[in-house]
Amino acid sequence: MIDEDRLSETFAALASSTRRAILARLAQGEANVNELAGPFDVTLPTISKHIKVLELAGLVVRSQRAQYRPCALDPAPLEEISAWAEQYRPVWEARFDRMGDYLTRLRSQQRTDEHDD
Amino acid sequence: MTDSSAPQDAVVIERSFDAPPVLIWQMWTVPEHFKAWYGPDGVTVPVAKMDVRAGGSRLVCLEMDTPAGLRRMWFTGEYLEVVQNQRLVYTESMSDENGNVLSPSDLGMPPGHPATTEVIVELQDLGGRTKMVLTHTGIPADSPGAAGWAMAFRKLGAHLQAHGAR
Repeated sequence: MIDEDRLSETFAALASSTRRAILARLAQGEANVNELAGPFDVTLPTISKHIKVLELAGLVVRSQRAQYRPCALDPAPLEEISAWAEQYRPVWEARFDRMGDYLTRLRSQQRTDEHDD
Repeated sequence: MTDSSAPQDAVVIERSFDAPPVLIWQMWTVPEHFKAWYGPDGVTVPVAKMDVRAGGSRLVCLEMDTPAGLRRMWFTGEYLEVVQNQRLVYTESMSDENGNVLSPSDLGMPPGHPATTEVIVELQDLGGRTKMVLTHTGIPADSPGAAGWAMAFRKLGAHLQAHGAR
C-alpha cells in the first residue's frame, strides 16, 4: 500500500538538484553536514535546510549517537516512488501489444494493396 | 537492462518491432496511427491534436464506456525534444478539453500523484526492425533536468542494491 501523502513529500524533496546530489553522496555512505556541504558553494545553514527537507520526507535519518550527527540515506521512500511508477507498466504494455497488432495489420494491408497494383 | 527489483522513479519498457523507425515514429506523431493503438482495451481516442515540434503542444482525449455512461479524460502537454525517427520527449498533465491543466486532486486522484509526468521515446534502427525504449517518469517536469535525474536515480538504485541496502 502506497502512502500517498508521503509519496507527495518524496516527489517534492526530490525536486531540487542540490538535494538529489546530497542523496547521491549519501548512497556512498554516512556523512556529516560539513562533508555534505563540501562540493556546494552554499552556506552550512542552507545545506542544513536541505537536509531537514530530506529528513521530513524520510529519505535521510540523522544519528543521535555522536555530536556531529552523521546523516544516512533511507531508501524506503524511493521504493514507494518505484511502486507508483510500476502502476503505469501494465497500461503501457497493453498499448504496445496493440501497437504491434496494428503494425501487423498495416503491413498486411500494404501487401494486399501492392498486389492490387 | 533494467532490474525490476531496484528502486525506480520511472517505468522503463523496451520493445522490438518488425518495422523500420520511420513507421514507429508515425505511430507516435500521426494522430490517425496514434489513435489506433494508444487507448488500452475498452478505451478509444476520439481526439489527438499534435503539434510535433519542440515547444509545440498536444491534446489527447481518452473516452471509456462506463456503467455511468461515456466518460472523457483529457491530457495536455508540451513536446520538449523532437528528433525525427529517433527521440521524442513530451510532458503530460490531466486537463480540460481546452488544454487547461487540472490538478490531480481536482480530479479526485490521490494527492501523491504528480501533476505532470514526462514521457521519453527512444528509437534505434536495427536494420528494418526497431528497438523502442519508453521511459515514463513522475519526477515533476519543472524540476531541472528531470530526464537526467531518471538516469541518476537508476544508478543510485543499482548502487544501493550492490551495497545490500533495502
